Amino acid sequence: MTLKRKLFAAAAGAILAPVLVVVLPATSASAHGYISDPPSRQANCAAGKVPDCGNIIYEPQSVEGPKGLRSCNAGLGQFAQLADESKPWPAKSVGTTVTFNWVFTARHATSNYEYYIGNTRVADIPGNNQQPPATVSHTVNLAGYSGRVKVLAIWNISDTANAFYSCVDLQIGGGGTPPPTTTPPPTTTPPPTTTPPPTTTPPAGGTWAAGKAYKVGDVVTYGGASYRCLQAHTAIAGWEPPNTPALWQRQ
Amino acid sequence: MRLLLVAVALLLAGCGSGATASAPSYNAADVMFLQMLIPQNQQGIEIVRLSKDRALPADLKVLAAAIESTQQTEVDDMKGWLRGWNQPETMDMNPQAHAGHGGMKMAATDLVGTLEAAPDAEFGRKFLDVLTGQQQGAVELAQTENGTNGGVNAQARDLARRVIESRSAEVKQLLNFKL
Repeated sequence: MTLKRKLFAAAAGAILAPVLVVVLPATSASAHGYISDPPSRQANCAAGKVPDCGNIIYEPQSVEGPKGLRSCNAGLGQFAQLADESKPWPAKSVGTTVTFNWVFTARHATSNYEYYIGNTRVADIPGNNQQPPATVSHTVNLAGYSGRVKVLAIWNISDTANAFYSCVDLQIGGGGTPPPTTTPPPTTTPPPTTTPPPTTTPPAGGTWAAGKAYKVGDVVTYGGASYRCLQAHTAIAGWEPPNTPALWQRQ
Repeated sequence: MRLLLVAVALLLAGCGSGATASAPSYNAADVMFLQMLIPQNQQGIEIVRLSKDRALPADLKVLAAAIESTQQTEVDDMKGWLRGWNQPETMDMNPQAHAGHGGMKMAATDLVGTLEAAPDAEFGRKFLDVLTGQQQGAVELAQTENGTNGGVNAQARDLARRVIESRSAEVKQLLNFKL
C-alpha cells in the first residue's frame, strides 16, 4: 500500500466513520432472543409503538447480561431506555393465564426460563440444557395479580454465564385497577399501520416514499427515473426501486 | 462537453485505483457475508412461501410475497458477485470459521418443517415469530459486514445497509400483526 493510498484510506475512514456510527448500531454480532407477544418493551420499540428507543429497534434480541439481574435492560447503557419507567410503555390487556411467545435469532442451549413480578418468581420453566425448538411459548398462571403489572422474563443460557432479559407490561383482568399516573394511555401512540419513513433513508428526490402502499401499475419517480410497480407491497427503506427489480420496472 | 470530459476523467481515475493489485475490491468478510446471507435468504424464502396456503391477513401475505421476491433478487446478485470474484457460493462448513459472524444462523432446528406441520390455529403466531427471528438474523450478518473488521466491497456493504433497513422495517410490520 502506497502512502498516498494509505492517506486516502484513512481519510475515507474518517469521513465514513461518523456516518456509520449514526446509521449502524455498534454491535458484537452474537445472537439471541426476546418475547414478541404479549409485546415486550424491546418488541414495542422495534414495532415503532414507543418513541426514542435508540438502537434497540435494530436488535431487540440483544438484551444480554450476566445471570441474576432484575433489570429490563440487562444493565446495558446503550439500552437504558428499556428501564425508563417514564416512557409510555403499552400494556396489553390479558386474563390471568398468559401465553408468552419468544423470537430467537440463535438457539442457545437453555438452562431455564424465569418469570418475575417484582421479587416473586411466578414461573420457572426448565430448558434441560437443550437448544430451544423452532418456536417457544410458555403459558404462565398470574392468578392473584390484577391491574397493571410488569413481568420480567429471563432466558438463562446453559453454556455461558449470560441471560437475556425481556420486560413485558400487562394489564391483567377486565376492569382492573387504573394504570399508574406515570403511564399515559397507549391511545397516544400513533396507529401502527402508518409507517413513518425511517430517518436513515437518503432523500433521493422523487415520489417514491417508504411507508406507502403501492399496487401493481402504480408509477413513481426515484433518483430522476420513473418506475412502474410490478408487485403490490408497502414500500420500506432498503427496497428503493433501483434495488428491487422484482417490485419495480424502470420505465 | 467540458463537464462530460471531467466526468469521464473522474470515472477513469476511479477505475484505475480500483483495479490495482494492492487495493482488493473485496475481502474475506465480504465473501463470508455473502456465503452466509445466501442460505439465510433462501431459508427466509422457504418460510414465507409457507404462508401461501394458510389463512392469514391479506397484508401479511402481501409482505410475505414481497420478501420472497426481493430476497430472491439479492440471492441472484450475491451469487453473481461471488462468481465474479471466483469464490464458492457455499460456505466453509466448519462452524469455527464463522465464529466472528456470531456463529451459524442456520441452526440445526428445523424451522421450516416445524412451521409446515403446525396446525392452522397455531400457524400464524409461529409464522410471525420464526420469520421475525429469521429476518433479524440477517440484520446480525449485515451488522458484522458493516462493522469493525467487516467487509470492504462497496456493493456488499450497500447490500448490508439495505438488509439492515429493509429487515428492520419488515420486523416492524411483523411485530404489529395481531394473530
